[in-house]
Amino acid sequence: MKNIRDISIRNKLILMQVFTSMLVLGIVFWTFIATEFRAYKTRKKESITSLAQVIAANSISMLQFQDNDAAAKMLGELESVAPDIAVATILDKKGAVLARKVQGDTSRMQLEVSFPIRSNGELLGKIVLSARLSDLSAMKRSLLSMALILTAVAMLASFLIARIVQATLSNRLERLAQVMTEVNRTGDYSRAMEESGEDEIGTLIRNFNSLLQKVKENERRKDEFIGVASHELKTPLTSIKGYLEMLTMMETAQPKKQMVERAFANTKKLEKLIQELLDVSKLQVGHLQLQLSAFDLGELIEEAVTAFRMVSRTHVVVVEGLPKFRRVVADRQRIEQVLLNLLSNAVKYSPGEEKVVVSCEVEQADVVIEVRDLGPGIPPGEEEVIFDRFYRSKEVAEHISGFGLGLYICRDIIQRHNGRIWVESRVRGSAFRFSLPILNSTT
Amino acid sequence: MKRILVLDDDLDILELVQMALSMNGYSVKTLSRWENLEDTIHDYRPELVLLDVSLGNADGRDLCLKLKTSPATRDIAVVLFSANIEMQKSVATCMADSFLSKPFDLQRLTKTVREALPL
Repeated sequence: MKNIRDISIRNKLILMQVFTSMLVLGIVFWTFIATEFRAYKTRKKESITSLAQVIAANSISMLQFQDNDAAAKMLGELESVAPDIAVATILDKKGAVLARKVQGDTSRMQLEVSFPIRSNGELLGKIVLSARLSDLSAMKRSLLSMALILTAVAMLASFLIARIVQATLSNRLERLAQVMTEVNRTGDYSRAMEESGEDEIGTLIRNFNSLLQKVKENERRKDEFIGVASHELKTPLTSIKGYLEMLTMMETAQPKKQMVERAFANTKKLEKLIQELLDVSKLQVGHLQLQLSAFDLGELIEEAVTAFRMVSRTHVVVVEGLPKFRRVVADRQRIEQVLLNLLSNAVKYSPGEEKVVVSCEVEQADVVIEVRDLGPGIPPGEEEVIFDRFYRSKEVAEHISGFGLGLYICRDIIQRHNGRIWVESRVRGSAFRFSLPILNSTT
Repeated sequence: MKRILVLDDDLDILELVQMALSMNGYSVKTLSRWENLEDTIHDYRPELVLLDVSLGNADGRDLCLKLKTSPATRDIAVVLFSANIEMQKSVATCMADSFLSKPFDLQRLTKTVREALPL
C-alpha cells in the first residue's frame, strides 16, 4: 500500500480538505435526518392520539350498550379520515373485542397508540390504533437523496477550492524542491529563488537562499585558495626546477652531475605531489572541469609513452596492438595525466623488472587502455580500495613515496568521462585498465 | 634574431627564462613591472610576449586582450604562463596564442615558444 508520505503535498492538501468537508457534512446530515425522523414520529403520534381521543369519546355509549354494529360502523369511517390506520380495535374493560377494523397492508405497522375509554372516571375499555408510517420511507428517500446531492456538490466545491488554495502552498514548495534538485545536479549555486511570503515556506526559501549564498562564498574562497596555493607553491618550484634542469645540462663532472640530477628528479616528484593535492581539492568542490575535444587516443598513447621513456631509466615501455578505431571525445590533458600516472605506478611498483606494456583494444562501444607491469601485483582484497583517497598498499607503503592520491584522481577523471577504471591480476603483475566511450567506430 | 619580451613579477623566473631562451637563439628582454609593458613593447618591438597571468595588481589576461585588440600590437604572438592550470581555459577569451603551465620543463618552454615563433 502506498505510504502517506509518498503522496504529494498537493494531493495531501486536496484529500485533507475533501475528507474534512465530507466528515463535517456527514455529521450535519446525520443529525438533521435523525431530528427530522423523531419530529415526524412525534407529530404522527400526537395526531393518532387525538384521533383515539375522539373515537374514545364516541365509543362510551357503544361500550355501555355493547353495540357492536355501531362501533364497527364508526371504525369503518376511519378509512376515509385516516388511511394510515392499519388496525383499529375497541376493547371492553375485560379485554374482549367490541369492534375491530383492519384496512390495507398490516405488515408494516410501526406505531401503536392505546387510549383508555372512561365515563365519569370509570374505565369502560380502550381503543388501540396501529398506524403505518407510510410517509417515513418516502421522507427517508427524499432526505437521503438531498443529503447525497448536497454532499456531492459540497465535495466538488471543496475539491475545487482546495485545488486553488493548495497552489499557494504546494507551488512554492514544488518549485523549491525543483530548484534544490537542479542545484544538486548542476552544482550551480547562483540559482537563488525569489523570496515570497512570511510563512514557513517563505522562511524555508530564505534559508535555502542564504545557504546557497554561503556555499557560493565558500566555493569562491576555495577557488581563491587553490589559485593562491598554486601560485605560491609553484612559483618557487618553477625556479628551482628550471635552474636544476639547466645545471643537469651544463654539469659534466661526476659526482656533481649525479647529485644535481637527483635533486632535479625530486623536484619533479614534489611538483607531482603539489599538483595531486590541488587536483584533490578541486575534485572535492567539484571544480575539476573537463576540456572536451575529439582526438586520436593512439596518438596520445604514443606521445605519453615517448615522454615517459625520456624520464624512465629503469624500465622499457612497450606499446602493443593499437586498434584502428580509437577516436574519443575527452579531456586530452586529463587522459594523458591518467596514462602517465598509471605508467609511473607500473614502474614504481615493479622494482627490479624491466618492462611495462601499454596496449589498447576496442570492446563493444568502448576503447580500453591497459598498462601492465610484471611486479608482485596487487595483494588480494585490495583491488577496489587502492582507488580510495589516501589509500596506500600496506605491503609497499614503507618504501614508496606518495600521498595515495594518484589512483583516486585517475578514477575521478575516468568516471567524469563516463568510463571505468579497474585492476586485473595477471600471472605476473597486474594490469590497470580504463575504458572510454568511442566517439564513432565508423570514422 | 627573433625578439621575445618576458613579463613576470618573479625575478628568478625571469632570469631563468632569459637564459633558457637565449641559449636557444632568441633575443630576450625581461620586464618585472607590468606598468612599463606598453613603453617596452614600443621601444623593443618584440615578436612574442611571454606573459605571466598573476602580476600582483594586474591580470596578464587583461593585458593580453589589450595587446590583441590594439592595432599596433595585435600581430605580436602572446604566450600566457601561469601556475594555475585553470588559466588555460582563458586562452581563447583573451586571444592568447598559447599557454604554458608552471612549473615547466625547459624543453617544453622552448617547444611552446618555437611553435608560436619559429626561428
